[in-house]
Amino acid sequence: MWETLAQAVINGLLIGGIYALVSIGVTLIFGVVKIVNFAQGEFVMIGMYISFFLATQFGIDPLVSLAVSMPVLFLAGVLIQHFLIRRVLGPNDMPQIFLTFALSLLLLNLSLMFFTANYRTVHTSYSDEALHFGGLYIPVAKLIAFAVAMGLSGLLWVFLHTTDLGKAMRAASQNRDVAMLMGINPNRVFAVAFGTALALAGAAGSLLMPFYSAYPFVGQVFVLMAFVAVVMGTLGNVAGALVASLMMGVAESLGIQFVGADSGLIVVFALLLLTLAFKPSGLGARRGR
Amino acid sequence: MTGDRKPSAINNVAPSKVSQTKLNRRKFLVRTGGIMAAGAFGAVPLRGWAADPVNIGALYPTTGSMAQIGVGCVAAAKLAVDMVNEAGGIKSLGGAKLNLIVSDVQSDTTVTRTETDRLISGNKLSAIHGCYASALTLIASEVCERARIPIITGSSSDQLNKGRSYTFTPFARASQFAKTQLQMAKLVSEQAKVAVIFENTAFGTSTSNGLKELAPGEGVEIVMFEPYSAGFTDASPLINKVKASGANTLFSISYLNDLILIVRTVKQVGLNIAINGGSGGFVMPDFYKNVGKLAEGLQGVGHWNHDVSEEAQKVNVEFKKRTGEFAFEYAGGLVAQTFMLADALERAASTDPKKVREALSTLDVSSGYAAMAPGGKVKFGPDGKNVYGRPVGVQWQNSDLVSVFPKEDARAPLMKT
Repeated sequence: MWETLAQAVINGLLIGGIYALVSIGVTLIFGVVKIVNFAQGEFVMIGMYISFFLATQFGIDPLVSLAVSMPVLFLAGVLIQHFLIRRVLGPNDMPQIFLTFALSLLLLNLSLMFFTANYRTVHTSYSDEALHFGGLYIPVAKLIAFAVAMGLSGLLWVFLHTTDLGKAMRAASQNRDVAMLMGINPNRVFAVAFGTALALAGAAGSLLMPFYSAYPFVGQVFVLMAFVAVVMGTLGNVAGALVASLMMGVAESLGIQFVGADSGLIVVFALLLLTLAFKPSGLGARRGR
Repeated sequence: MTGDRKPSAINNVAPSKVSQTKLNRRKFLVRTGGIMAAGAFGAVPLRGWAADPVNIGALYPTTGSMAQIGVGCVAAAKLAVDMVNEAGGIKSLGGAKLNLIVSDVQSDTTVTRTETDRLISGNKLSAIHGCYASALTLIASEVCERARIPIITGSSSDQLNKGRSYTFTPFARASQFAKTQLQMAKLVSEQAKVAVIFENTAFGTSTSNGLKELAPGEGVEIVMFEPYSAGFTDASPLINKVKASGANTLFSISYLNDLILIVRTVKQVGLNIAINGGSGGFVMPDFYKNVGKLAEGLQGVGHWNHDVSEEAQKVNVEFKKRTGEFAFEYAGGLVAQTFMLADALERAASTDPKKVREALSTLDVSSGYAAMAPGGKVKFGPDGKNVYGRPVGVQWQNSDLVSVFPKEDARAPLMKT
């Protein structure tokens, strides 16, 4: 019993690490640029395809291809922010919703056209390996993904708290007008935030590739959990999104283990409803607000 | 979002195809219109010195979600026609050649109805074969019944044998597949303890219920029976449950993506369990391409396999030469079907579809390409079912799909993983 429970928690934490990378991206964009990026899942998908093609064409390990997928998606993020998002920022948020939603549909259909709907997998030497101790096991690929995800989240935290640009981003997320009055260039900050968020999505894609299949709709699987985690961890709060993502992962895993294999999401949404009932602004909300 | 998922290997949606087909159809209408006008004005149809060809219709989804398999089916249909023609055609009709008329049913039930109608009204057909997916074949066979054109199919739905007299099914029926799977579980262990996991969709629920009903009769104990939601991110909790159940065989009724995750997770957990993935996408060349070495030792069932007879192996070699892949169950099966049609035409000595139907209903072969089926014999009962039809149990061994069950069809022993 304890063994099963412990295994379920381990499984949940490991997959929660991936949810975290996606949800931190969503919450970062929301916090700084104040828009909801519905296309975040599609950038995870693009990250996966980048790693897939590098692995199959050049034999590059998906973990190494992080070094490609992250900069490529960062650049894509900066360009999307500069040429698309910037033009719809304003008091009316309908155009923003339409824009990111349209972007999502466009990317989905483009990938269907170019990559077809087939499932693509990359097989690495560690894809099927697991560490065993006692009755428990930890899949190596997922452990690496979890560790890198936590490392990247940590780096982001350091960036946001120690560098001028990071502080500017936090300032812009707290109060955009005051930040602008203090001489912060919002366009630059927005571009970096969008780029960083997409780079995280790309990282999630590359980290997923050793143990999950790439297909055009893959992003939708992860973005649903990401949105739940973002709401639960308070919109715009990076640490909140991280903690909430790990919780979602564990809740889902425990749900499958103890309620039923088709009821994992029931537990997740029950947890979300409970959180919203008792802490309406989410787990990461500051007191007094 | 799971509604957007496409089943296993049969997915090749290209949205751009839609407009293309429309354009093609318009072009097609212009052309056929031209030809018909030419006919009306007295243009003489080409008649050579040879006997008139025998028109065989082929209905397959060569675009849409099942395009990949449909294209493979058409390749097999062409191969079969070439084989019959090279062997001298239909001798009783003066060496008449078979003429294949392919029609794309676009993986869509509505299109299947109109395309079948159009194929029948536009051509003088002797018989039809198609359509891969049972859902499509059911509709085509209904149209054929009305038009009194015999249709021969490898589709497995038992529905196809109800109230039809022009539909012939030379291969195992869906209801027989579950039984074979259960019997294979007993090969693994005398005390077969089976865990059944299935996605909570119509496909998963109906297949798993079939297994559950038959299990006691086969002396197989089901120790776990669990639905899951398709498109999960992590199979570990589910496999944890399988481990706790103490099962020695796992039946996974899943589409490709979930099955890959399940197989990988079983390996990671270090669980020693035989896995039976059933039929469909699991017995396609694409499955091995996607799963690689992990597929080794996995079991499944099919209505045909490329090693069931010497003739099947010859067909396989030729099919491989043309397409680069081994002949998958539906492709190989439809080569056999074409030879059954040739046999019927030979005996009917007529291209009249009603006479071809008569000849098919008295078909009785036990050798040659027409008898290339598990069991090696074909004879249709009054419901159009092959009375000798049975599925074949297969296993992935050294990147090939090998027949392992029943003993009469086995080409290699079951590898115990």
